[in-house]
Amino acid sequence: MTARRAKPSDKFERLLAGPVVWIGLILLTAFALGPFLWMLLTSLKSRTELYATPLQYLPVHPTFENYVEAWTSPVTPFSRFFLNSLWVCSVTMVATTAVSVLAGYAIARFRFAGRDALLLIFLATQMFPSVLLIAPLLTQWRALGLIDTYQALIYSNFSFTVPFTVWMMVGYFSSIPRDLEESAMIDGCNHFGALVRIVLPLAAPGIAATAIFAFVVSWSELLFAISFTTETNMRTLSAGLLYMVGQYEVQWGQLSAGVILSTVPVAILFAFLQRHLIHGLTAGAVKG
Amino acid sequence: MTSLSLSTPRSRPLISWRVRKLLIGYSYLVPAALCLLATVVVPIFFAVKMSLYADVLYKPQDYRFIGLGNYIRLLYDPVFWLTLQNSVVWVFGSVFLQFIFGFAAALLLQQAFTGRALVRTLTLLPWIIPGVVVGLIWQWLYQPNYGVINDLLIRAGAMSERIAWLSSPDYAMAAVVFTNVWRGIPFFAIMLLAGLQAVPDELYEAAHVDGAGVLSRFWHITLPLLRPIIVVSTATRIIWTFNYADLIFVMTGGGPANATQITSTYTLTQAYATLDFGYAGALSVVLLIVMLAFTWAYLRVTKGIEEPE
Repeated sequence: MTARRAKPSDKFERLLAGPVVWIGLILLTAFALGPFLWMLLTSLKSRTELYATPLQYLPVHPTFENYVEAWTSPVTPFSRFFLNSLWVCSVTMVATTAVSVLAGYAIARFRFAGRDALLLIFLATQMFPSVLLIAPLLTQWRALGLIDTYQALIYSNFSFTVPFTVWMMVGYFSSIPRDLEESAMIDGCNHFGALVRIVLPLAAPGIAATAIFAFVVSWSELLFAISFTTETNMRTLSAGLLYMVGQYEVQWGQLSAGVILSTVPVAILFAFLQRHLIHGLTAGAVKG
Repeated sequence: MTSLSLSTPRSRPLISWRVRKLLIGYSYLVPAALCLLATVVVPIFFAVKMSLYADVLYKPQDYRFIGLGNYIRLLYDPVFWLTLQNSVVWVFGSVFLQFIFGFAAALLLQQAFTGRALVRTLTLLPWIIPGVVVGLIWQWLYQPNYGVINDLLIRAGAMSERIAWLSSPDYAMAAVVFTNVWRGIPFFAIMLLAGLQAVPDELYEAAHVDGAGVLSRFWHITLPLLRPIIVVSTATRIIWTFNYADLIFVMTGGGPANATQITSTYTLTQAYATLDFGYAGALSVVLLIVMLAFTWAYLRVTKGIEEPE
């Protein structure tokens, strides 16, 4: 055992480390959460409290009326926006996952010509700006009569979900040993059977993470939603929030309630996703 | 010999096993390929085509092929050059600060303390919420009369008059960059945290025994070992920030007087508000070329550094 010599710098370091870390952590958390907290407080204030001078920090008579108004307003029907987002994101999630499981498996397991080029294309696609796609996609959906439909939004979402989720799935499948499927195939399973019975159960956590990821990024999508829908009833949450701003003078009470309502679902999903997402991110592909 | 193989006629499959396996592999790729073809490849082709036409949505009678006309117009468009300049400020301002603060956050979150998992999750929040939500939250914080930022700064005595952050040509860019920094710190924090956790403790212990202080351990162990992840995360972040239009679009719409107009929001404005698809197409192609050049350079630099699993 080598006894550690206590150096003069040691004591200094330890003295410094405690408070510095604590102060840093407090600042970090306050900075990250402060704006949310302010939005939450705003959403609980009545109109008079909201526009009081001098600024009133805490709601004296907290009220949920902003939430009720935002949710039921006929002009900016938040409940409708919410359901639209839920539907678009769920379908995007299921379709993206199915597509990327197949593609990810093929890329991870089969050696074929153009495999590396294909991977590179999937990576490069993630680097493409989505503003690039707006004008051509709008023309395309218009020609197909898909303006103001869920399909237009769902298909458009594939442009940014699929390239990333394929990369994630390639990573997960590569980490599963081949031997298991090979022995299953020797036992008479065909390729698809081996994929469904052996590989998918093993990759389940990764697939779940991929699915949630697809949901979360579609939930944030704004530009396609404002470009490919014109009817209020077809707005997603992101587009609807922006629409609330554009309507008349900004109703910050209702808007802050809307902000909180649209944050909660992704925050909950993300808490589940976190560990896997970090794995996927550090595996080499990044979007967002 | 031949008679032997004839006498035991094994039914030869129509296509060999190898080819069949290959066909299965390709068939698994078909759905993904179709998705990308319909939503990325074909649209890009159309964007290029559009850029060669006079194509303003509400002037269909003027629709005609004009060759490089839109690109020539771009060269003489002072706003386009301004947006490139603004993009540089936006991208490097955002990414540099996100990196510095994200690194600090990663070092903090690596320390052992009670409630670490909770703090880690909570501090990631700004990164996962929709861009439009981020934009609206900060619009409200920056609000001149009822915004908490003005109020706090005045109470602290840092300034005496309210500032209309987002409508002032002097402060608007700084204000949107600051918002983007808030949003992007968690990204670097988790990337670098993952890197920090992969550094073996023995290295630090050995260096400690050899008398290396905190700073020298950071400089000689942490930084070199994190180099790959730093390169990857910074490069992808630069590309992403360059393309990212939501935040500015929501907060200022590129204003006031194009003070916050970056190339991607300008492209968006041309397509979404002005409905000048030809010009938007030309801008998109320029964006695409810049991105491809950067991606190419990035792949060259990281070749050998980054080993995908």
